[in-house]
Amino acid sequence: MAQPAISCRNVWKVFGPDPAAHVAALSAGGSGAAGHVVAVRDVTLDVTRGEMLVVMGLSGSGKSTLVRCLSRLIETTAGAIDIDGVEIGSLTEASLIALRREKMGMVFQSFGLLPHRTVLQNVAFPLEMRGMDRMARTARAREVLELVGLRSREDYFPRELSGGQQQRVGIARSLAIEPDIWFLDEPFSALDPLIRREMQDEFLRLKKQMDRTIVFITHDFDEALRLADRIAIMKDGAIVQCDSPDRIVLAPASDYVAKFTAGVDRSRVVHVGTFAMPLPPDAPPEGSPLPAGATLREIARSLVADPRPTIPVADTSGRLVGALDRNAALDLVLEARPA
Amino acid sequence: MTDSAATDTAVVRSTTEKGPRVWQGLLIAAVLLAVGQALLPPGLIRPPDWAILPFADWINAAFYYAQNELGLMQVTRAFAGGVEWSLDVTGNLLYGRNRWPRIGPIPWSTVAVTAGMLGYALGGWRLAALAGGTFVWIAVMGQWRWSMETFSVIVVAAPVSVFIGLCMGTLAWRSKTAERIINPILNIAQSLPHFAYMIPVVVFIGLGPKAGAVVTIIFSVPPMIRMTLLGLRKVPEEVVEAGKMSGATRWQLLTRVRLPTARTEILIGVNQVIMQCLAMVVLASFIGMPGLGQRLLQLLQALRIGPSVEIGITIVLLAVTLDRLSRAWAMRQPAHPEPGESWASRNRLWLIWAGLVAAAFGLAQLVPYFHEDERSQALSIAPPIDAGVNWFIGFVSPVTDWIRRVLVVWVLIPFRDAILWLPYTTVLAAVAALGWAVGGWRSALVCVGFILPIALSGWWDRAMITVYTVLAAVTLAGIIGFPLGIWGAGTGRRAAVVRLVCETMQTFPRFIYMIPVVMLFGVSDVAVLAAVMVFATVPIVRYTIEGLDSVPPETVEAAEMSGATRRQVLGNVRLPLAMPTILVGFNQSIMFALFMVIIAAFIGTQDLGQEMQRALSATDVGKGLVLGLAVAFLGLMADHLLMRWAERLRQAQRL
Amino acid sequence: MQRHAKLLIGAAAVALTAAQGHAQDSSDPIIIPTHNWSSQIVMSHVVGNIFEDMGMSVEFISADSQAVYEAIRLGDVTLGLEVWEGAFGASFSAALEKGGILDVATHDAITREDWWYPMWTKEACPGLPDWEALNACAEIFATPETGDRGRFLGGPVDWLKNDQQRVDALGMNFTVVNAGSAAALWAELAAAERDSTPIVLFNWTPNFAEAVWPGEFVEFPAWEEGCDKDPALGPNPDATYDCGNPADGYLKIAAWDGMPEKWPTAFAVLERINFSNPQIAEMAKLVDIDGLDPEDAALAWLEANEDTWRPWVE
Repeated sequence: MAQPAISCRNVWKVFGPDPAAHVAALSAGGSGAAGHVVAVRDVTLDVTRGEMLVVMGLSGSGKSTLVRCLSRLIETTAGAIDIDGVEIGSLTEASLIALRREKMGMVFQSFGLLPHRTVLQNVAFPLEMRGMDRMARTARAREVLELVGLRSREDYFPRELSGGQQQRVGIARSLAIEPDIWFLDEPFSALDPLIRREMQDEFLRLKKQMDRTIVFITHDFDEALRLADRIAIMKDGAIVQCDSPDRIVLAPASDYVAKFTAGVDRSRVVHVGTFAMPLPPDAPPEGSPLPAGATLREIARSLVADPRPTIPVADTSGRLVGALDRNAALDLVLEARPA
Repeated sequence: MTDSAATDTAVVRSTTEKGPRVWQGLLIAAVLLAVGQALLPPGLIRPPDWAILPFADWINAAFYYAQNELGLMQVTRAFAGGVEWSLDVTGNLLYGRNRWPRIGPIPWSTVAVTAGMLGYALGGWRLAALAGGTFVWIAVMGQWRWSMETFSVIVVAAPVSVFIGLCMGTLAWRSKTAERIINPILNIAQSLPHFAYMIPVVVFIGLGPKAGAVVTIIFSVPPMIRMTLLGLRKVPEEVVEAGKMSGATRWQLLTRVRLPTARTEILIGVNQVIMQCLAMVVLASFIGMPGLGQRLLQLLQALRIGPSVEIGITIVLLAVTLDRLSRAWAMRQPAHPEPGESWASRNRLWLIWAGLVAAAFGLAQLVPYFHEDERSQALSIAPPIDAGVNWFIGFVSPVTDWIRRVLVVWVLIPFRDAILWLPYTTVLAAVAALGWAVGGWRSALVCVGFILPIALSGWWDRAMITVYTVLAAVTLAGIIGFPLGIWGAGTGRRAAVVRLVCETMQTFPRFIYMIPVVMLFGVSDVAVLAAVMVFATVPIVRYTIEGLDSVPPETVEAAEMSGATRRQVLGNVRLPLAMPTILVGFNQSIMFALFMVIIAAFIGTQDLGQEMQRALSATDVGKGLVLGLAVAFLGLMADHLLMRWAERLRQAQRL
Repeated sequence: MQRHAKLLIGAAAVALTAAQGHAQDSSDPIIIPTHNWSSQIVMSHVVGNIFEDMGMSVEFISADSQAVYEAIRLGDVTLGLEVWEGAFGASFSAALEKGGILDVATHDAITREDWWYPMWTKEACPGLPDWEALNACAEIFATPETGDRGRFLGGPVDWLKNDQQRVDALGMNFTVVNAGSAAALWAELAAAERDSTPIVLFNWTPNFAEAVWPGEFVEFPAWEEGCDKDPALGPNPDATYDCGNPADGYLKIAAWDGMPEKWPTAFAVLERINFSNPQIAEMAKLVDIDGLDPEDAALAWLEANEDTWRPWVE
């Protein structure tokens, strides 16, 4: 199997007077000393290359701390994190800086723009750190600004822009070096709902144009469902479930996860391909297949009209991949849960 | 007033309920020691001779060692040499001192035009008029050379201060240990009377403009350190993280991310440095700072009030101008240029400035008056000022004679005698009691820790006279300032007027007040009190206004809806809520009074200030520092008590 | 006016440099301290102008009048032009003992510092200037601070005048109140003048105050050498300081002991410099009464007194 882009093994982050001892005590099944806060609890996780992982959790669940461990903005207390097979905890400061300059980009909740620099200078900042000459970095920064539609504002200062525009600058800055790994820490949380929706669309557009590994943090479950290849749900520092959106909606691992999914219109999330049963080996269903990549909601109309009890499902290449139980699918569309 | 006092005692009571009522016990002990002093051994009334520690000798020995054995003298003199070289350059440019680069002096008209342009760029027409007008006033009044002598020192001292402050502030931010060392030094330095560190400067640097510059640097560094530290702390974590993720090294992070982001705080630090430099203009002339301060002292020495007031006005104008300019700079936010603007229109202000400077320069070549103004061509408003002061003194002197007699005979002498009558053990116990009441055993220990060294230094009686003067002055300042503040807090317009008056009184050189005060009250404690009060009243008025104005309007509205009269709203709602802020005002008032009491030695006092004056003229470093520290400790103790109390009130309000 | 005077001195300087073309004087500035009384400032500028036009570089710095002797010793300051016996005799002697400072010359001017009163006081206390008469009308000098006793307004304590010892030694019904600065003394005097309040205070000559407020020194038992150390001298056999201050104190010129080597010509001139009481009083008057600035006053004085200073430089 291909090497994952990011791989965490038993990662802990504990704040307090003696974090290491606390981790040891907790790992051994004890309760540890008082006065410690466990922000990340024994997280083991792989992110494959080109995958978009959304880490979802309420505030205080440790998701922001986790992403800062992945980028080594903070040191982990225990465990190991590999980026492209390199253990980042053991990197020297110089190699860490080189890694960031070459491979990583990050977008922040409150944008983290430099107030004294223009939009253009902000976007060019990582390139400047790399030592790129002025002409080259200005050209590249303009290119990225074009991508996020802010070319006309390049001489503005951050405080002269709206929140949405500021975040576009943040995004442009993080993309300036064409990172392999892109961290986004609640990028849209500080924006109002209408802008947020618009930015999500924009984000999906950008994502389609590129092929990179993305770790996206959010506290908004709908946003996670909308954007993710895979969702990791965190509670009290631990990952309670890490699965595709369909799986999370169909099979919540705990009551906690179920609470999030309760209000969700599952038919908009669940894909035909996921919901389908394996093909019966003896008698494959007949007739025109449904597309595996569509959500149940999208095929709801044809489902109602289709008289077949089991309907074949095919992927984009036309190969049959499964069979859909029409009644079960209808139940889900109509939100009548089977007992 | 009575209500707020009631809440105060309620708070004090609630704090002591936890522990035994130790502070009451201490207070009773203090009273017993005072009343029964006839029975006490003399060692409990005044510190016995064997307990007096020769701090001054120790300090002098240490300084002697540093100066002669460690060769610190070479270091300081080398530093002073660098400062002196810079002073030569600015001296040449600004007032034509015969030193390299031998270009100057710059015509005054170009400086005035530049100041006006700077004002316009930073704050529009009003600031332009203020800045340009100030320099025109200086030239027209024939004070150009003096002002430039002063300026030549400030333009060297302020940048050095800013640089040192940035470095030390960064160091304190970077290392907890450094902060732990720097912080108490700053606390003491900021409460040490100016004269105390002028003596070591004379020893290590010598006299003259360089000594003036060095003492100005020392005096103006602390606020810069504090503001740098504050600014670096306030940089949003995400901005730093963004910098790190951009691959910045530590140095790049500091110079390109943190320091630029802390720009506003750092510039406010610069503003404070400039203000501190101006505050030193007169005092530093005691050790050779040339210019306005030196002239002012000479004029006062010959009792020429009118011309000294002219200089005073110049100093106030300069202070206000530089304050407004630097604050406008600090508050200024960058803005984008309009798209499609031409080069000329982008650089419009620069071009206008260059044009104006060229014009002024040309004019200066044609008309010498615009190049260098001679004293003989100066205007003067001294005669009307003298007449005004004379008239005023003649007008009020019948009243002031009476005030002097009543205050001296019935209030001040009994009060002073009473304080001197107290055994030092009483004072120690009372201070411990106060500390305990306000902040438990820790505060009691802190307070005793501050006051015991004073008893052991051998300057007890003089320190008590200082305490007496400060207490009397702050009490009187409270009696005047507190109602004034309440009056001023009524409306925005009144507050603005009161604030303006306060600001002017504060920046006006203190030495000028001493002459009319002596003419009114003679060389007496009343004159000292009057001079001290001028300063001590200002913070009380200011903070009373601020405290009352910052009471949340909903709270006041709620009280009004409950049917409270205006008086009830004031007494039951606004004053109690404003109390913590007002206490901060009293705290500052005590600080100001302590500084001024030392300077009032030039009127004639018998306290620590008089000895400080003696130490200065004898260049006695040890004695000067011991006296200075005694003053600083008194200030720090008052600061501890009042801030603790204010904190307590704030906590109680939060509940 | 400034330019005019410069020319004048310039002419003299040309003559001088022609005569002493081989002078080895250093080009470093000669540093002359100015203190906070006007005659001294004017005198410093007079001497400074003379040096400057001899081709020396001169600089003025303001310095504390007591601390300056330490500065002269270290060479931070080159010379001192007004060393008053009464006020600075002690600091000067101490510096002489430590070494590094030279006693260059003594002015003709004599100095006197003592108890003094303005003329209107004499009307209220006609027996003056005798000290016993003063003591007899002590109560007219009473103030709220001093109760029934008369008040003597002394100078700042750091002028070290031993007034309290004298009051005790002579059994006077006076209390000494020390003003903190000369300015405070003059302010009190000016205030007393308004309604002719009797006042007795510390004063000295030569001084501008003589011209503003005519007055006299109180006559104490005459100073005898040792009166401050030997109780037997003076009217009170058991006490020191039972006498007035010397009525003819010296006024000296001091210089850094490196000066003769570094600026030999200038030092030679300095040795010849000599001012008298009227000359010093005139310098003070130019500033304090006529309202000139010290620099202008110095030029005016040079212009008017060429006969006096020309011989020094030739």
